[in-house]
Amino acid sequence: MTAAAVTVCTWGVGRDGGLPSGADETLTLGRKVAGQLNADLNWLLLGPMPADAVAVAGQYGVTAVHRIVDEKLESFRPDLYVEALAQYWTACSPRLLLVSQTYDARLVAPRLAGRSGAGVVMNGVDVAADETGRLRVTASAYGGDTRVAYELEGSSAYIVAVTANAIAPTPADGASAPAVRDIPVDLSRVEERIRVVGRAETEGPRIEDAEIIVAGGRGLGSVENYRLVEELAQALGGMSAASRPIVDDGWADPSRQVGLTGKITRPVLYIAAGISGASQHMVGCTAAKTIVAINRDPDAAIFRYARYGIVGDCLEILPALVRAVKG
Amino acid sequence: MRIVVCAKEVLDPDAVNNYALEGKLVIGDDGKTLTQTTIPRLMNAYDEQAIEAALRLRDSGVQCTITVVSAGADPGEILKHAAALGADEIVAITVDAAATDYHVIACVLAAAIRAKGGADLVLCGRQASDDDQGVVPALIGEALGMPVVTVARSVEVTNTAGTPQGTGASPAPVVRVIRVTPDGNETVEVACPAVVTISNELGQPRYPTMAGRMAARRKRTTVVAIGDLGLQPRDLQPRVTLARQFVPTVKGDCEIVSGTTPAELATSLLERLRVQGILT
Repeated sequence: MTAAAVTVCTWGVGRDGGLPSGADETLTLGRKVAGQLNADLNWLLLGPMPADAVAVAGQYGVTAVHRIVDEKLESFRPDLYVEALAQYWTACSPRLLLVSQTYDARLVAPRLAGRSGAGVVMNGVDVAADETGRLRVTASAYGGDTRVAYELEGSSAYIVAVTANAIAPTPADGASAPAVRDIPVDLSRVEERIRVVGRAETEGPRIEDAEIIVAGGRGLGSVENYRLVEELAQALGGMSAASRPIVDDGWADPSRQVGLTGKITRPVLYIAAGISGASQHMVGCTAAKTIVAINRDPDAAIFRYARYGIVGDCLEILPALVRAVKG
Repeated sequence: MRIVVCAKEVLDPDAVNNYALEGKLVIGDDGKTLTQTTIPRLMNAYDEQAIEAALRLRDSGVQCTITVVSAGADPGEILKHAAALGADEIVAITVDAAATDYHVIACVLAAAIRAKGGADLVLCGRQASDDDQGVVPALIGEALGMPVVTVARSVEVTNTAGTPQGTGASPAPVVRVIRVTPDGNETVEVACPAVVTISNELGQPRYPTMAGRMAARRKRTTVVAIGDLGLQPRDLQPRVTLARQFVPTVKGDCEIVSGTTPAELATSLLERLRVQGILT
């Protein structure tokens, strides 16, 4: 069955040393498609190994864990990672390779497609195979305003990147006992062409990890009013965030931008103040457990996504909330 | 240095978004195309920022030629805009949109760059605002054997770290790029030739000047036929086919909190969040 294998690919570890983000979601989708294709589900891990990978692989019904361990893969370097994956492709030729659409995967997936001759689709929210083994991907387009279904024909193999939060992680009904196989690669001739001269350093906590987020948008009216968002975030012990238009205008730092070209967040509580609810923004917060919308316009799209809404001026409501929280 | 910018014509994403927000976005009878003729067509905004990045390099004193290439059903309009902004050369490749995908477009653009004798720097928008795929720049990089640096907020040329290409030759230009990453700004350097994708953090692109518009009218478009690019049948074979497009439904179970004063509304909301166990 190896000829038609579905391979889920992840690299590195999460911030806590555990699974990298999206691994469980991608494994869930991989198991579904492997079942439809009657194929093996392999999990390829590159670079530093998450401590509990083999146990998790068993929970998710993985047939075999494939590991690529090489000191050159200690941290993410695009040329080295793409070359390692291209060698894996030659050795194992999967029918479908699934990756979680992380920032780095956005570069690796298409480069690997170019290298291997596979087709590639990004922004996937679902993949399915029909009885004949033909694959179809549902992906988001127009910043989330529409969904597109692509037929995957014209190449024998495909790479699909799966959007964060598109799939609910679901372990298999019964555990499997995956084999563990090391896949040798030779990276001795690869020179990383891109040289990092100034490393990115997150200062303090990241909104991706926040439990409570208060986000502001154009409805705040002016840059001075963004502090109202920060004050409520602080009162709730959460973090402040922003929609893209006000980040573009310099009201808030780009590291706080939620949405398609910003961060994908999944807090317990997301309070959106003066945000209209454009799809591009909602992509970054629909995984929140509860969304609260504060907007003057009762017809604003944000109310369609929200669990609770306040129709009113966020310049009045935000300070009132701060007072109420502080009691 | 030779700079090539790749540009795509898209439906105005703000207009698409406005229709979507009003629940009035229409998918045509074929079940896959947005057919509202009231939605303007324009240059993908990230591509416009890629042109802006090229123009800023020229403004900073880099000796360069700026060529803007577009492959599409009707690339003429956006190329005129590129010329008005200050492109030295505009290259149009007409393709049948229904029979192409990202793979075909990447092969066509890479072949067009090769046919021009190559480029030192290929600039692209980070993604197109219609399909959001963002895979073409990476594929061009692979096809041309160039490194790919993504999501740039600034691009400079520096020769100080250049590696001499053989004896006696001048060093290859080196570009220094500040990238926007989830962990903040990262600065990288790469020797040319290279592909760099530009993000909105670059800042507002300029508007064409009147003189630029006048000059653009006289600018001849270089028209390249697909048949002249030496492409193989496999290069022109799409790998993904759009089967369907639809507007996703949103659940919509919002409870509007009632109250007459901001204080009442605030208290009432917090009460609900506490009852639900969302806040303690």
